[in-house]
Formats: sequence, structure tokens, C-alpha cells
Amino acid sequence: MLSKNIFRKAEPYLFLTPAFAILLLFLIFPLFWNVYISLHDVSLVNLLQGWTYVGWQNFLDLFEDSNFQTSLKVTLEFVAGSVAMQFGIGLLISTLLSEKVRAGGVLLAIFIIPWTISAVIAAFSFKFMFDESFGILDYLFEKIGLPPVNWLSDPNMVIWSVVIANIWYGTPFTILFLTAGTLSINPTIYEAAVIDGASKFKSFLHITLPLLKPFIVINLILITMWSVNFFDLQLVMTGGGPMFASTTASLYMYRQAFEFGLLSKGASVGLILIVINLVVAFIYVKLLRVR
Amino acid sequence: MNGKKIILICSIILVVSSTLLIGYGFKNPTTAQKKQVTLTAILSEPKDRWDILFNTVQQKLNENHPDIDIKIDYIVLPYDATRTQLLTAMAGRTPIDLVSVDQTWLGEFAQGGFLSDLTDVAKSWGKERDWYQTNWEGGKYNGKLYGIWAWTDIRGMWYWKDLLSRAGISPDSLKTWNGYIADAKQLNKVLKDQGIHGVHLVGASQSPDMWYPYLWMLGGEILKQKTGHPTKGTYWFPAFNSTAGIKALEFLKQQVNAGIRPQINHFWGEEFADRKFAVMLEGSWLLSAFPHEQWTNLAQKIGLLPMFPVPEIGSKSSTMLGGWILGIPETSQNKDLAWELLTTMVEPQVLTPMLQKEGYLPTQKPIGEGPYAAYLNSSIPYYKEMISMISIGHIRPNIPEYPQIAENIREAIDEVYYGIKDPKQALDDAAGKSSKVLGWVN
Repeated sequence: MLSKNIFRKAEPYLFLTPAFAILLLFLIFPLFWNVYISLHDVSLVNLLQGWTYVGWQNFLDLFEDSNFQTSLKVTLEFVAGSVAMQFGIGLLISTLLSEKVRAGGVLLAIFIIPWTISAVIAAFSFKFMFDESFGILDYLFEKIGLPPVNWLSDPNMVIWSVVIANIWYGTPFTILFLTAGTLSINPTIYEAAVIDGASKFKSFLHITLPLLKPFIVINLILITMWSVNFFDLQLVMTGGGPMFASTTASLYMYRQAFEFGLLSKGASVGLILIVINLVVAFIYVKLLRVR
Repeated sequence: MNGKKIILICSIILVVSSTLLIGYGFKNPTTAQKKQVTLTAILSEPKDRWDILFNTVQQKLNENHPDIDIKIDYIVLPYDATRTQLLTAMAGRTPIDLVSVDQTWLGEFAQGGFLSDLTDVAKSWGKERDWYQTNWEGGKYNGKLYGIWAWTDIRGMWYWKDLLSRAGISPDSLKTWNGYIADAKQLNKVLKDQGIHGVHLVGASQSPDMWYPYLWMLGGEILKQKTGHPTKGTYWFPAFNSTAGIKALEFLKQQVNAGIRPQINHFWGEEFADRKFAVMLEGSWLLSAFPHEQWTNLAQKIGLLPMFPVPEIGSKSSTMLGGWILGIPETSQNKDLAWELLTTMVEPQVLTPMLQKEGYLPTQKPIGEGPYAAYLNSSIPYYKEMISMISIGHIRPNIPEYPQIAENIREAIDEVYYGIKDPKQALDDAAGKSSKVLGWVN
């Protein structure tokens, strides 16, 4: 009887064991390993030898590095620009699609195409389009009498060129996600609002947006985290240049670890990015509680 | 279980296993007795060159070892991914038998203990004298040989003959710094309306590679040995901010001032082949931007000056040598066979057809100057001119800190391009950062 009771109590934990083991192996262990590396001096040169404990030195070095400081500023611009535009455009299109648009399904499928393309291919496409010597954009500008834009060579412009590429690449997720959210709203609520004399705009403001809130919050958090971690576009389109003007913190991390072989420095940046993402996740939880 | 059942089960097992064994023996009488060995390799793109080499080499190895069934399992990755994959393999101690490493990566992977020391086996092999000295030395780190430089490339000045003549320019005037800038202006004036740029100026990540030739031709160096290092005694010290370095960077600044725009995108010669530039300082790989069937008549359309522009007529020019080094990782479980694979790959009769097809330059004298030269000379445009540049070629340092130093130099070049700093200030700042990277200052 006693053993049966113990088993009953332990049963849920036993079922959870495989999932927890996977979590431990693929998430918790790499995280702590990353912390371990960030507190030691590990580089390509001493990777197979003894690692010296250096404490917080890697983090201190990072914050003294002007290029890292630049990368944080660039990250902020990249994330703010990408998230604001992806969300704004995504919400607009998903709202239009949720109306009874003819061939709405086909349009949705077309809008999703960019998301199905590899980020590297998207990056190469934009790299060619933005090229200042033979890119299509400057060619068209010239044809209509506008001055050419230094899309990728102007340090003040380059990050916004990458943001444009990221908007094209990332917006389909928001469209898909918010369209799914919009379609989950009971249509009778809208019918009741029409009977009460509500205009379409008022329905959107007072019905759609409040009911979409959980979807909006999750969407914002996801696209923010992805934008923080994303570096494929910058790597291919500009390599982070010119003058580090398109080096986001994630690209800085990649370059430190894999181009320069400074694994500890890369791991330290990785941890800082995790902290940034945790803050975002915290906001997400708080916002859901507000609901 | 009764006795009958046991006998029945045993009989079934016997019949099935005998059938399988006999069948296997009939199907493949030789391989049944052969030892199977799979050699693994991580290599860098393009894949064609490796396909050509391994097709021949696998056959040769199997002929040399009739008792072994040798297979070669190789993955070919883009440049950046190759480095990442090598790093991952190194960290995981993955058994790999052959790797291709960029010349500048050698020091990192050698000092990290990833590459095997080939000094002794290479001595027994006795082919050192066949290699151009610069290329043989490029496989060394700290006096030990860690790799064999399989093929190389040079950078020279390519031009479209018709575009130059349309602008009334003689190729000879491109040879000096002043002439180069004057011609660039003239070409821009004449060709701009057709969407063609006069000359190409690299603004991409490899901009230091195209600046080094100017530094070297003025007698400068990227790094030099110096005593008094806090931990290493004698070690490398930044030397690129010398008078030669400043003068070399001033030439790039003059180009920008003359209206030549640094190109942030680099398409490795495709932009020249597409006639977007009349003149381009680019590597020998530029030829591969043209279809192979056009090579026979290519010299009628494009020209090559086997040099970088020099400050004055009569000055000695310079170029940079690049290329791939083949090494054997410490984790290889078949080091002898891997060495045989490597040495077979670089045998002139194996390597030459690949060089001919891909347009690469040899690192070995028997191919560059010996009996194979005539064959390559007749099929690769400007082969003789390109080979002549090997003698003025320099290589980049292969010490572990080099990638960070190159990044500092790139930053300095960008700062000059964008008018943020003058050449001296930019190079001094880059040298300061590089001193720190090299451990001279904390």
C-alpha cells in the first residue's frame, strides 16, 4: 500500500524524466558550460590544453572594448527598427487578410514565401540589390532622376539597409501568427458590434486589438529575441562593416569566437545576449500577467 | 523446449548463416578479405577541384594497397564554415585524416595542437627542393612543417583592352601610382555614362590583402621580430605603421580623393567579367569568372599587367600569394595513409590537370617551370606572366594573432577611406591595438 502511494506520487516525475534529461543535456549543460568558458581564458590556441581561470576579466575586457560598445548601439538600432516595422506591417497585412479578401489564402501563401527562404540566400539577394555599382535599386533611382544611395558603404545608412532586409525576411512570421490570432476571434462578437453601430475601425480598436493581445505579446517577444540573436544578414551583406556600423552584438560574438578564435570572449558576449533575452522574456511574463 | 525444437532452430540458424556467408563470398570474393579504410577530409569550396583530385587519387591508393579497400569521405564547405567546422572538429577531437587550411590559419591550428608535425616525414619524402621556397616556408610554423602548400594564387592588374583604348589609355601608363590615378579619372570620365567604373578599389573585408603589396614594394613589413616581449622574449611586433605603411595607405587615400569609390561588396572577379570595371587588381582566380571555352581567345579581350602599380618607373613591384595548405590532423587514425593521400594529391601528374581546369598556379617548380609548364601555358591565359609574379610574391604572417591584426588594419583602411583619420594616425592606432593582441602591452 505504502509503495503504491510512493509510486503514485513519483509517477508524474518519472514521466517528466526523459524531457528533463533532454533539457539538461541540450539546454542547461551548454548554458553552464558557456558560463565556465566565459570565466576562463579559452582560445583556439589553448583549446586542447589547460585553461586558466580569469574570473570576470573577459566581461571587463568586453565593456572596455569600443567595438563591443558600438555593437550594442547597433543592436539597439537593428532590433528597434526591425521589430517596429515587422510588427506594424505584419499587423496591417494580417488585419487586411482577416477581412473577407478574395484569394486571401493565396495572398497569405505569397506573403509567407520570404520566411521559407534561407536567410543566407535572402542576404545575398539584398547584397546584390543594394550594390552601389550595379544594384537594381540605385539603377532605378538613377532612371527616375534620384541621386544614388550608398546603401552598404555609408556607415550611417548601412544598418538601416540591413533592417530593410530583415523586415522583408521576418515580417511573414508576424503576418502568419497574427492572422492565426485574428481568425481565432469569434465572428459573432463583430456581428454584435455591427448591430451596436460600431465602425470597422472601432471594432479593430476595441475588439480585435484587445483579443489579439496574447498573440501580440508573444509575437513581439519572439521577433525581438530573434532580432537580437540574428546575424546571418549582417554577416553576408556587410561582414559587419563599414567601420563596425553593421556589427550587432550577435555578429560580434560570432566573429570573436569563430574568426578570431577567442572562444571565452565569444562565450561572454553570448551570456550577455542571454541576459538581454531573459529581460525580454521577463517583460513577456509580466505582460501576460497584466492580461 | 524439447530436443526436436532445439535441433530445428540450430539447423535454421546454420542454413541461414551458411547461405549469407556463401552469398557474400561469391558476390565479392576479394573485398570479403580486404580491410576497409575510410579516409575523411574537411575541405574548402569550390568542390570541383577536390572531385577532380580525389577521383584520381582514390584509384591510385587502391592500386598501391591491393589488400585494403580505401574510400575517401570528404565534405566541402564555404570558406567561413570550413574554419568553424575545423574548430568544432578540434574541440570534439573528431578523427579526420586531411584538412585544407588557409595559409593564415596555419599558426592557430598548429599551436592549438590540431595539426600533425610533418617535418620528419617530409624530410624522408625529400621533395622540399621541388617547391618554391616561399610556398614551402608557408607550410611552416615555429620552424616545423605542418602542411604542404598545394597551389597558390597571385594578384595582378587586369584590364579590358577595348575599354582602355576607348578612353585613349595605354596599359603602360597604369604601371605607376600617378598614371594609375590619372587613368582612373580619364576612364571614369569616358565610361561613366555606360555604367562602367574606371578602376576597382577593394573596400570589403580583404582590403588589407590589397594594401600589403604597396607596403612590401616600399620595403615595409606587416610584423617584425623584436626582443623584450614580457612573456615570450623575442616575438612579433607590429611594423605596418612604418613610413612605408603610411606612404602605401596614402596611395589608397589619393585614389579615394580622385573619386574612386571603395567597393564594399566583392564578387571575386565576376564584376570585372561583367564589364562593370575597366581595370581591376584581382587574384588569378578572376579567370574562372570567364567560361572555360572562352579561355582560348581571352587574351585578345583582356590584358594582365603582372604587377601592382609602383611609385615610380623602375621600382620593383610586389604581390600577395594566397592558396591552400593541406594538413593532417593529430586526430587522424590513419596517419600513414593520410600522408600517402596528401603526397599523391600533390604529385605533378595528379595535380596538373586540376590546376589546368581551375586556373590555379602551382607551388612546385616542376609544374611551374618544368615539363608541365608548356601544357599549362598553352591552356591558361597569361600563365607565364602569373608565374613570373611568384618571385615578387610575399605571404602574410601565419601566427595565431594574425586574424585580429588584419582586422585592425582593415579598420585603419576604412578610417582613411571615410576620412575619419589620416593614414599615420589610423595605422598608429591599429598598431597600438595589435601590440596589445600580441601581448606587448596589457
